[in-house]
Amino acid sequence: MASSQLGQLYKELQQAFMSGNLQQTGVLLARLKIGLTEAGLLVPFGNPNPQDLVVARDILEVGAFWSIRTKDIPSFDRYFSQLLTFYNDYSSLLPPSPREYPLRGLNLIRLLTQNRIADFHTTLESLPLPADSLTANPYIAHPINLEQWLMEGSYSKVWNAREEAPTEEYKFFVDSLMGTIRNEIASCEEAAYDSLPLKDAATLLFFKSTNDVLAFAKQRGWQVDLGAQKIHFAKKAEDKVEIPKERLIAANLQYARELEQIV
Amino acid sequence: MADVEMKVVDAKEEKKEDKTTTEEKKPVPLTPVAEIKANVALIERAVSTLEPRFIHRVLRSLMHLRKKLDDKVLRDAIQAIYPTDSPAKQSLLPWLPNAPAEESMDVDSTPAASKQPQSEPIPEVEIYLRLLIIHHLLTSAETYAKATKLAHETVDKMQALSRRSMDPIAAKVWYAVERAYELGGELAEARPLFLAAQRTAALRHDDETEASLINRILRSYLQYSLYDQADKLVSKTSFPAAAGNPQHARYHYYLGRIKAVQLNYTAAHTNLQQAIRRAPPAKTAPGFYQAVHKLSIVVELLMGDIPERSLFRHPVLEKALAGYFEIVKAVRNGSLSQFQNTLSNYAAQFEADKTYTLIVRLRQNVIKTGIRRLSLSYSRISLRDICVKLHLDSEEDAEYIVGKAIRDGVIEGRIVHEKGWMECGGQKSGYGPEVSDVFSRRISYCLELHNQSVKAMRYPLNAHRKELAAAEGAREREKELAKEIQEGDLDDEGPDLGEGF
Repeated sequence: MASSQLGQLYKELQQAFMSGNLQQTGVLLARLKIGLTEAGLLVPFGNPNPQDLVVARDILEVGAFWSIRTKDIPSFDRYFSQLLTFYNDYSSLLPPSPREYPLRGLNLIRLLTQNRIADFHTTLESLPLPADSLTANPYIAHPINLEQWLMEGSYSKVWNAREEAPTEEYKFFVDSLMGTIRNEIASCEEAAYDSLPLKDAATLLFFKSTNDVLAFAKQRGWQVDLGAQKIHFAKKAEDKVEIPKERLIAANLQYARELEQIV
Repeated sequence: MADVEMKVVDAKEEKKEDKTTTEEKKPVPLTPVAEIKANVALIERAVSTLEPRFIHRVLRSLMHLRKKLDDKVLRDAIQAIYPTDSPAKQSLLPWLPNAPAEESMDVDSTPAASKQPQSEPIPEVEIYLRLLIIHHLLTSAETYAKATKLAHETVDKMQALSRRSMDPIAAKVWYAVERAYELGGELAEARPLFLAAQRTAALRHDDETEASLINRILRSYLQYSLYDQADKLVSKTSFPAAAGNPQHARYHYYLGRIKAVQLNYTAAHTNLQQAIRRAPPAKTAPGFYQAVHKLSIVVELLMGDIPERSLFRHPVLEKALAGYFEIVKAVRNGSLSQFQNTLSNYAAQFEADKTYTLIVRLRQNVIKTGIRRLSLSYSRISLRDICVKLHLDSEEDAEYIVGKAIRDGVIEGRIVHEKGWMECGGQKSGYGPEVSDVFSRRISYCLELHNQSVKAMRYPLNAHRKELAAAEGAREREKELAKEIQEGDLDDEGPDLGEGF
């Protein structure tokens, strides 16, 4: 495919993306990817022209944003791993992209929502920023704060952080985080309270109406006392401590054998 | 303060070298030239008797010798070892700057030069001399480029020769290659070279080179924070068990670092413990000792343990661990504000040690410790007070945090929402099935240690023959004794024996 044709498509893509025409963007992206592959730029190899690389990077970046807007996470994952080549290996050749950190931040949040905490930290470590200035970057600071709050249990802060998302796309992930958080809070409540007034439960769980709470309580199997407006958490029956006989026997036999070898 | 910092960093730089060599104290100080010549003789002996042990001895003295090298020493050594017009000599000498005229006169008049060796020494000797030259070139910044070039040439030569008796030296050469690249500031470029060499080494079961190379690659990955790649390398390769202790120590240190980043603290702790145990004594390699301990303290804190206080009084560690000591104090007290202050005070140091992000993760541990302390000292405490005591932002937060702590089993208790307080339950009794788990964990550790030490015992070759001979002798004597007793029956002692019956 001639590069002029690629350039034409690229311009169209930018227009479509700017105007927010998701369907059109998707179609163009598919065609552009074929074009990039033929030009050997999708997975760059050797020493291509930096100008071409910038265009390829732009296209992939648009693709990543488009995936999030169409809520296609696996597709975002693919675009992002392709982009990593441009961000890491060609960082000395190319001018830094303004979209790099928003995308890196989005990737971090994605890992957070999928509860891949280990990956989250590995990715964080490999960011090309000095660790003590991570929080100075708004796009990176957001996921870092979220993770910290989630881990220590400051759920209300996570809830409030919805509004502070640095770009529009973050909100998509933050919404899906809410589901996770509600379940977390619910499991904490089951352990920490005997009973809870219905209204307070609603505030704790960030529900707007009691009806939502009732539906949620049903889902989790809580006993709701409508008369007293209270939720009772079924006390877990004091589970009987079973002696793990087989394991103990096996362990003791093992000791005996080892001791015999020593003596 | 700055001075101290520099020293620590210097020591760290040094550590890599110090580590590999336990200094060998020679009773009589030899001149460097004589020492090199003695080493060359040892190498030749090693190759002719197929005993790599002699080469190891030579390499142990490498560090010690390296400090004494200069142009003249190397020049003299090469003159003395090679016959006058040997091609190897022609290839080695250009790497050293030309000596002034009168000095070469001196060389000629020395007795060493008068009895020129006639035969060409084996290639191992050449590689060894090249190694010495590389190390020498690496001592000054101007010759880094030259060192890199020589290192390349040496590697090519080694691969062309491909002699198994050369492997131990080759492992050291790879270290020199890495050093040359690193000092030249282009460590990343050396990676493809290392990866290719590692494959070859693995195929040839060249354990020492492979171990050395795996460590080189891991180090290069971690230097550039490529934890994913490092993790994949670890999972795809198996570290040769026959490798030396220093290589093992490094490998465990790198593993510990990777595991810590992946939140696998227990595994990281095990690896770091291994690294500490296998590392050379603290005085010999202070930098490595400090680096491992720094990481190990953070990992221990992340696991919820508090490191021993005596560690921070260790003469080698005391200064290097100052910042970490403050962090430990903050975690122990469960004081968030103290923790934040320490973190910002020592941020630069933690960043340099690459432990900053790990330490940031400690925040939740600080909170947990704080709640735990409160739950132990109060039977009932209002959420408002918790909030004040732990410097939390709001009561609402406090409620969630306490709830999470209860669910995670950090404390025993309930929240009474209507009254806004937390009631702390009694402590769990310390006896249950988990006790047997802990017990079996400890016992299996002891047994493992015992088995490992039995496996690690070394026996001198053929020593059992002597014992056999001794046993044979004993049997002979016994026979004689038996014979005598039999014969003795006829003696006058016979009746005495009989009385006993």
